[in-house]
Parts: sequence; C-alpha cells; structure tokens
Amino acid sequence: MEEIIRHLTPLLKEITGYIYPNEIELHWGILVVIYPYITGLVAGAFILASIVKIFNVKEVQPTYRISLLTALAFLIVAPLPLLAHLGHPEKSYEIFLTPNTSSAMAMFGFVYAWYLMAVLLLEIWFDYRKDIILWAKKETGFRKWLHKILSLFSVDVSERAIKFDKKAVKIITVIGIPSAFLLHGYVGFIFGSVKANPWWSSVLMPIVFLFSAIVSGIALILIIYMIVTPLRAKQIDMVCLNKLASYLFYVMIVDFSLEALDFMHRIYESEESIKILSQLVSGKLFVSLIVIQLLIGMLIPLGAIATVKIFDLPDELKKQIYFLSALLVQVGIFTTRWNVVIGGQLFSKSFSGLTAYKMTFFGMEGLLTSIGLLLLPFIILFVLFKILPPWDEARTAVK
Amino acid sequence: MKQWPLSNLWKKLPEQVRRLSILGIILVAFFLMIRSLLIPSDFGKFGHYRASAVEEIASLPMQYAGQMACVECHEETVTLKGKGYHKNVACEICHGPAAAHTRDPGSVKLTAPRGRGYCPICHEYLPSRPTGFPQIVSNSHNPMKPCISCHNPHDPKPPQTPKECSACHGEIAKTKSLSHHVYIPCTRCHNVPKGHKISPRKFLPTKPSTREFCGGCHAKGAAGEKGIPQVDLATHGKRYVCWQCHYPHLPEAH
Repeated sequence: MEEIIRHLTPLLKEITGYIYPNEIELHWGILVVIYPYITGLVAGAFILASIVKIFNVKEVQPTYRISLLTALAFLIVAPLPLLAHLGHPEKSYEIFLTPNTSSAMAMFGFVYAWYLMAVLLLEIWFDYRKDIILWAKKETGFRKWLHKILSLFSVDVSERAIKFDKKAVKIITVIGIPSAFLLHGYVGFIFGSVKANPWWSSVLMPIVFLFSAIVSGIALILIIYMIVTPLRAKQIDMVCLNKLASYLFYVMIVDFSLEALDFMHRIYESEESIKILSQLVSGKLFVSLIVIQLLIGMLIPLGAIATVKIFDLPDELKKQIYFLSALLVQVGIFTTRWNVVIGGQLFSKSFSGLTAYKMTFFGMEGLLTSIGLLLLPFIILFVLFKILPPWDEARTAVK
Repeated sequence: MKQWPLSNLWKKLPEQVRRLSILGIILVAFFLMIRSLLIPSDFGKFGHYRASAVEEIASLPMQYAGQMACVECHEETVTLKGKGYHKNVACEICHGPAAAHTRDPGSVKLTAPRGRGYCPICHEYLPSRPTGFPQIVSNSHNPMKPCISCHNPHDPKPPQTPKECSACHGEIAKTKSLSHHVYIPCTRCHNVPKGHKISPRKFLPTKPSTREFCGGCHAKGAAGEKGIPQVDLATHGKRYVCWQCHYPHLPEAH
C-alpha cells in the first residue's frame, strides 16, 4: 500500500480537472505502444512483398525476399511486448489449448499462428526451397545440415517441382493479403471496439491502422534496403528505390486522407467528448500529435518526396531525401501508435479531467525493455540474412 | 499387392508437399496430444474455467473473521465505533485479517497502523472524493504528529470544531480563491445550520434559489462596489437561472 501511495503521489500533481481514482495511472504503457507498431511493420512489409508477386512489379523485386524475412523477424518479436506486459509468459500457450471464441484478444493468438505458420513460413519455404537444396549440396558441416533440415530433406529440383513452388507462392500470397489485413486490422479492431473510449471507438480505426501499417512497412524496407546494400558493397538500384518511394508516397496520401476523414468526422459529430478531446490535442498531445505525427512524420516526408518527384534531382540527393523521409515516417508512425494508446488513456471518462503518463526507465514496462524489444527484430533479421541470404548473387552463385 | 486409393493420391502429390504434410501432421498430432494431456478434465463443465478451481478456492483457509467475531471480546470498542463516523468501516480494514487471532487470541496479536501513512489512503485530499468528506493535505496538516495523537480512530472527530468551511470543502475554497468572489464569505450565499459542522449530511446548508439573489449585486443599478459587472435581469438570459451559465465559485470560468 505504501508503495502504491509513493508511486501515485507524483502523478497526482500532474492531474488537471476531475478524474476517477482508477484513471490516475495508465494501465497500458509503452509496451502496448510497441506492439501495434511492430505488428504494423509486419503487415506492411508483407503487403509490399505481395505487391511484387501478385501485381508482378518487377522494379521492386530486389526487396521481395528482404520484405519476407523482415516480416518474419518482426512477427517473431510481435507477441513479446504483450507477454512482457501481461507477465507469466509460461502460461501463454493456454489460450491455444482452450480457445475462448468470445474474446477478440484470445482469438488473436490464432490469427497470429495462422499468419506465422500458414502464410509467412510457408511462403518463405516455397520461395527458398530450391535455393536451400542447392546451397546444402555445396556446403559442408553445420550449414549443410541446417539447410538440409530447413528444406525438410527435400531434394526435388526438377522443373515441374519448381513450377509448383512458384504456383504455391502465388496462392499463399493471395491468401496472405487478407491475412495481413486481418492481422493488423485486428489491432485496430481491439481499440476501435472499445465503446466507452471516444478517442478509440471508431469504425475507421482498423482501416487507419492498416494503412499506417503499410506506410511504416514500406518505409522500413526502404531503410533496410538502403543500409544493407552499401554494406554489401553493392549499388542501390535506383529504379527499385524510386518505385518504393512512389508506393510510400501514394499510401501515405491514402493514410493521410483517412486520418483527416476520421478527424473531420469527429469534429462534425461533436459528441459530448469533443471538448476534452480538443483539450487533449491542443495540450498534452500537441507535440506528439500535431508536431511529430502530423508535421514531422507526415507532411514533411510527403513534401520531400513530392519535391523529388516534381524536380528531377540527382540520384545522390534523391537517396538522402528518401532515407531521411523514411526515417521521419518511422518516427511519425511510432508516435501515431503512441497517440492512440497513451492518448486514449490520458483523459477521464468523466470527460472533465486529464492525467499524465510517466514512463520508467528500468523494469519490465520501462524504456530499456522497449528499446531492447525494438532492437531484437534487427538481430533476428541479421541471423535470417545469414541463414537465408535474400540477395540475387546468393541465388545465381549456385546455378 | 492391392493398391489403396489413398496411397495413390499420396504418390501423386509433389515431393515437397508430401514432406510439408508430414510436418503438418506431426504438428497437428503434437498439438492434439498436448491438448489431451494438459487440458484439465473438468474444464468447461460450468464455464470457460476449471470446475474444480471453485472448490479449491473455497477450501483456502479463511483469513478474515468478520466484525461479529470482534464483538464477542471487544464489545466496548465496537459499540463506541458503532456510534462514530467510522461505523461503516469494518475492524479488519485497519487491523488486518483476524481469523487467526479469533482462533488463538493469546499468541496471535493484531496490529493497527500507528504512523501517518495509513489514514491518508482515505483522507488525503483528492478532487475525486465527494465534497464534505473529511480530507486533509497531509504535508501541511500537523506534519510531524501521528493521526492518532489527536483523533481516536474508533470515534474520529476533529479535536475542535473546524472554524473555516475550507477544512472540509477544500476544493471549493481553492477554486473560490482564484475568483472575484474571493472576499465574499460563504455564509453570504449559504445559510449554514448549526448542526452542519457536527453532522454535515443531516444539516445541509441552503443554496440560493432565485435570479434575484445574484441580482442583489449584479442587477443594473444594484448598490455595491464599483466594477461589479451588472446586467439587466429582464433581458439577460431570461429563461435561465444564473448558475446554469456562471459557476458561482468561479464566475470567470467559461
């Protein structure tokens, strides 16, 4: 009890207006911010990969496998913030054993498992199968066995088998797009279906989440491609980069329009919560919503990419603008998640008071854990790049 | 040898699909096995939980004895408490679970909080607590003294009757201190019956009920200091009473 009092006392000073006692402290902290951010990156990266396969866009082919592996690396990390937040990760498998169909959160376990096992792993397996077999043939020792096991000891590299692989990848991609929509749409659904919270409760929420996910996914692949390619002493494919930036630009416009639509809808409806929400937006969320999310994360990158598109700038300058824009977009999308998750808990359900969020540095819910969780996918991605090199030369070397 | 139709189909499948299927079958079989091993047999009998969990929880040792058990030995204290403001606060809220003490009063002694940390859990000033509920700011309310040196927890009363309304109505007093109404005493607008300070809920103060009451200062031509905003009561917001638009403790607020 003493500890709770010590913990709540500094928060009491941040409160303005009237607030219910159970609203003083936020229950969903930064870990719950990271979770939709990471799932968004997964869905976005996968949808980019799907564009290559379904619409046969040759220009962005160099990023196809990078996108798949990125989606996998981030998908592996996606449930970790939730496990860290809820505690008792050793009990988490129980939601699979006794499925509770009336709980959206419980059913998400199955969406996640479906997406991981039936979509992402299968697509990667079929796409890499031939290469893994050929690599295993040339390698020795540990790598040989690793690749043999990964190929499930498959040996058939006949033309018929490879044709089947390609067909399978295409079918999985077609199933994968609605699955990716489901994966991230669900995250928006969880927030959008909270009737009591006017900041969250909106039918547009899953759609806005989805488009911001695609934005962040494409920006992430652009960043990874631009960092990894020079590190491998290769030339960045400008056609591919231009196309990626174009996709980013167009999806951002759709995302921006949706968010603007949501915003206008709220103002026009002017429900009883509008006063406290406008206080929130002009006060506690001003920096993170107006300055970072809207200006730095949306308008500046949009303007920058538009400038590149209008004026024919030299390639070097283009690269720098793309890279910086993609970084700003990441910051912007992260604050989008922040503004949804944290913003939605900052105002009282009495609509007449605001509280504050105090993040700790150490501890399970702290900043340090969060930074670790955000870095972990990159470590996994590095290992995946070593085991399943996505580069073209790794493919051609074995031919 | 006779060929089964299934084995024909199996052979027709591409090699990679056959391997994947084996892995898939192993995974599904593993999942089903785990399910049959780990799901308790009585799961779902009553609802989405283990039926025997109810009995397990019911069979946990009782920690609390209930107020009736206290009366048996501490009748005097319970009677005293029953007359005071803490009559609805159960003994074990302050003294902790007492089941062990009732079984063996000799060796298990109960404690009571003696420091300043415990009482403010209910009595520290919080805007969300109901008006009139006794609240203090513990940093400025006799900071060095333990609460029990002035208040008897079994019959808590202020050692002397509060002189100021702000002793209980802290938030209103703070709000009013920011407004032009700061120098108007509470009693100008509220008639406070004598008993209110002793039994606040039984003897409620009055509130103004007419537009003319505010008009006493704010109607056009009313006597009073210079600079008091004055309006024509006949035309100014005629269908409403004043406090529907103006909060009397902070009339400047919108």
